[in-house]
Amino acid sequence: MGNLKVTMTDVNGTVHAIGNLNEGESLMEIAKANGVEGIFGDCGGGCACATCHVYVDQAWWPKVGEPDDIEGAMLDMVADVQRPNSRLGCQIKLRPELDGISVTVAPTSN
Amino acid sequence: METQAADIPGNAKPALTLDEKQLLAEATLKDYAIQAQPHDYYRAMRKGDPVHFDEKLGSWLVSRHEDILAVQADPITFSVNMGYHTQQARGMREEFQEILERDGGGYFPDAIMSDPPYHTRIRKLMENAFTAHRVKELEPRIRDAVVELLEQVADKGSADAVKDIAVPLTIRVIVEQLGLDHGMEAKITRWSAAVVAQISSMQNRETMVENAAQICELQNYLISKMRQRESQPSEDMISDIVHAQIKMPDGSVETLNFEEAVSLVRALLIAGNDTTATAIGNLFLLLATRPDVVRLLQESVDDDRRLTRFVEELLRVEPPVRALSRMTSCETVLGGTTIPAHAHMLLVYGSGNDQEEVFPDPRKFDMDRPNLGRHVSFGGGVHRCVGLALARMEVKVMAREIARRMDNIKLAIAVEDIRYLPTVATRTIEHLPITFTRRVG
Repeated sequence: MGNLKVTMTDVNGTVHAIGNLNEGESLMEIAKANGVEGIFGDCGGGCACATCHVYVDQAWWPKVGEPDDIEGAMLDMVADVQRPNSRLGCQIKLRPELDGISVTVAPTSN
Repeated sequence: METQAADIPGNAKPALTLDEKQLLAEATLKDYAIQAQPHDYYRAMRKGDPVHFDEKLGSWLVSRHEDILAVQADPITFSVNMGYHTQQARGMREEFQEILERDGGGYFPDAIMSDPPYHTRIRKLMENAFTAHRVKELEPRIRDAVVELLEQVADKGSADAVKDIAVPLTIRVIVEQLGLDHGMEAKITRWSAAVVAQISSMQNRETMVENAAQICELQNYLISKMRQRESQPSEDMISDIVHAQIKMPDGSVETLNFEEAVSLVRALLIAGNDTTATAIGNLFLLLATRPDVVRLLQESVDDDRRLTRFVEELLRVEPPVRALSRMTSCETVLGGTTIPAHAHMLLVYGSGNDQEEVFPDPRKFDMDRPNLGRHVSFGGGVHRCVGLALARMEVKVMAREIARRMDNIKLAIAVEDIRYLPTVATRTIEHLPITFTRRVG
């Protein structure tokens, strides 16, 4: 059992404070394992479906960083709900400097 | 048994035209004319009877986008395992199974066409081979194969865009990916057709037996390849599958058994072959008949993000897979319609992608749609196509290289004479004679 933690606000506005997490786990996997509504992860974490879309809280953006081109192309598929702080949860892997990161689950594309 | 949403007070539906009423009363997806030109039938269903029992086919057709998503979100009530394996060799399953056991090394149920929790393990074991980042690494090899083949055709001036371009192109790529032998093209085409025919709902006994013999040959070939890779792994997807393992949270390691692995290699060969070729056939039809699409492709060809959008809209507007199966594990209500237990259903992707409320002006080729990722051409939920990143990349590479080499693409036959494969499962152009010139500059 790890000692990292994250905060996720799901699509219903419910805040999930999740602890005891391991380095290397993705936000998508963490969300699915903890019943965070609105995260599906259909493609299994392959950066290929945009069903684990989150908005990263501004304070954490510099540490998380920009999506690469492949992820950017997937986010473009949900352009109607994409924001400047959009990322795919499957592409954010926990590491010590992200301990305590806070994200909000994006609504599904219309 | 059937409750039409239109009968529920307060749930008013737009009035149907006479044609639409007639389609709902008489049309069937088993009819070739409807398979070839299905859009009116789809619209009538979406409007008047969204979860429609197609009596002659014996299947419930799920036509609306939101109902397709609801089914995909509940893989236990709506079983892929029962749906797929019921449709396979429909009505002749036992004999089909006997033939494969006798001559084809065994009957290997499609491990991926299963339900959770079994499906979860299989799926996880396949996923690593298919991430978008892994697929990106394959791109140069795929591009080389595509360019080599297109260079042989580009000066010819005329061709069957399906048989001479789309199919060989796709087979070339799949041979490369799976690590099969070159020179197998004709056989792979036959084998592919045979597997797809098993879920067409259009076979008679004679064709079922012929197709089963092809599948036996296919399995025997794949099994020999897999045996080689077991002892000598190489950089290909057969090796990925044969040697796939995942570590479980408790520290144990999961692998695929041999039967599962055979079924998955077979599925990779077919799923990645026919569907991609179908998408390229569809691309050629659009390029030959729609100057607006030609212009969009030319404008997008050097911009990866735009080209990705172009491909996604191509897949939305003409989904290669028309419909995939489910079966209800219990009586359930979907979109206001009660469906009995053990009823066969088809999720009609081609119809869901045309739903006006989700994709306004749905027949328009509009690559700027802000919600492009909502199309259901790859399915969704736990069964979303595992090879979707690879499929997108293949179609993108092919579209780009075609646009760079071919110009003035025109149909050499009348649009009305285009023939589609007789099947409910896909909507595939069989032959597409075209003329073209080599692009200059």
